[in-house]
Amino acid sequence: MKCILMVRIKSLIFISLFLPILVSAQKSLPTKSFDLGVGGASNQGTLSAAYIYDWSLGKKEKIIVGIGGRVTSYIGANQYYSTAPAKLTSGSTGPAVFFKENIIANIDTFLIAKPRVVAMNAMINLGYKVTQKISVGFNIDAIGFSVGYKTRGNYINGSQGQNVEAKPTVFNLLLVSDNDLGSLNSEFYGKYKLNETISLKAAFQFIFTEYTTEIPVQQFPEPNDRFRNKSSMFSAAVSFQLN
Amino acid sequence: MKKNIILLFITAMISCKEDDATPTAPINDSFDPTTATLLKSGSLAGIGHTVSGTASLYEGTAKKIILLDPFNSQNGPDLKVYLSKDINASSYISLGALKSTMGKQSYEVPGNPDVTDYNYVMIWCEQFTVVFGRAEIK
Repeated sequence: MKCILMVRIKSLIFISLFLPILVSAQKSLPTKSFDLGVGGASNQGTLSAAYIYDWSLGKKEKIIVGIGGRVTSYIGANQYYSTAPAKLTSGSTGPAVFFKENIIANIDTFLIAKPRVVAMNAMINLGYKVTQKISVGFNIDAIGFSVGYKTRGNYINGSQGQNVEAKPTVFNLLLVSDNDLGSLNSEFYGKYKLNETISLKAAFQFIFTEYTTEIPVQQFPEPNDRFRNKSSMFSAAVSFQLN
Repeated sequence: MKKNIILLFITAMISCKEDDATPTAPINDSFDPTTATLLKSGSLAGIGHTVSGTASLYEGTAKKIILLDPFNSQNGPDLKVYLSKDINASSYISLGALKSTMGKQSYEVPGNPDVTDYNYVMIWCEQFTVVFGRAEIK
């Protein structure tokens, strides 16, 4: 398992380091932008700020590839978190977990009344310029860390339960499916350029937040202290082009 | 992640939330306390909510029973009955959903565990993590 993890970490580092070099072969300089966004759904919401370098690729420079950093603050109320590790949810940890059904018997619930997570991650952006003013794309957090206060949550396992303290999982890493670690944000977005400086962005946002309990409250089929919440919401953002 | 994104999208499209308010019609469960041994008992008191009555733990034939009689509670969503080791429900056994906000009601303790360390009966709003009331039983 550690081998697989290391290979993936190395792959992400490789992409992060060499993406700018690869795209720098293009004539155009990267576009720097700063996005401020807000997202919301029932009993939860996000505030996000991102600084992004985008390169335009292709003959007509319609393809957008970018990297950047994003801070996402997630606030929720009475949110259910589920057993996180892929080894428990899917029975294995390799890329094949993407195609595996969840093992319901291994998935327990951790209810948090007031989840608060601030995730700071390096992100990847991929887009396409539909017209001069309109672009669409997808971005996703890749690696980073999270902070947040300790809070109490209710571990519910059938008729047995425990109210214990938990805090946001510190290390975030994008892998495959439930192999992901920590809290990661992602968006499918459409962007409309108002003028040379300001664009408006509408997005469908997926955010995973993860808590680690102070003790491994789950014992079957093996001890576990990581619980993940998967939320979807609509978001809107203002994007400021800085060059 | 991609599998999760697809599942989330489907869930967002079809999910809806229901308020699981507790029934309010008075009930009168058939459990006869004279057929069992009283182990512990205590008075229920509201915690920021209106709850009153008596909670008792009985040992019957190969099973343990929590009896709420008399019992009266303010209504709320997703009310559960917990048998807990402490006032924070750090370790508890859920006896299930509160049957009614009013009347005599009994709950079997699942698994017939050793209840020596369980000294609190709690009326707990699970969805919102709020204690409605509790009784220290001794």
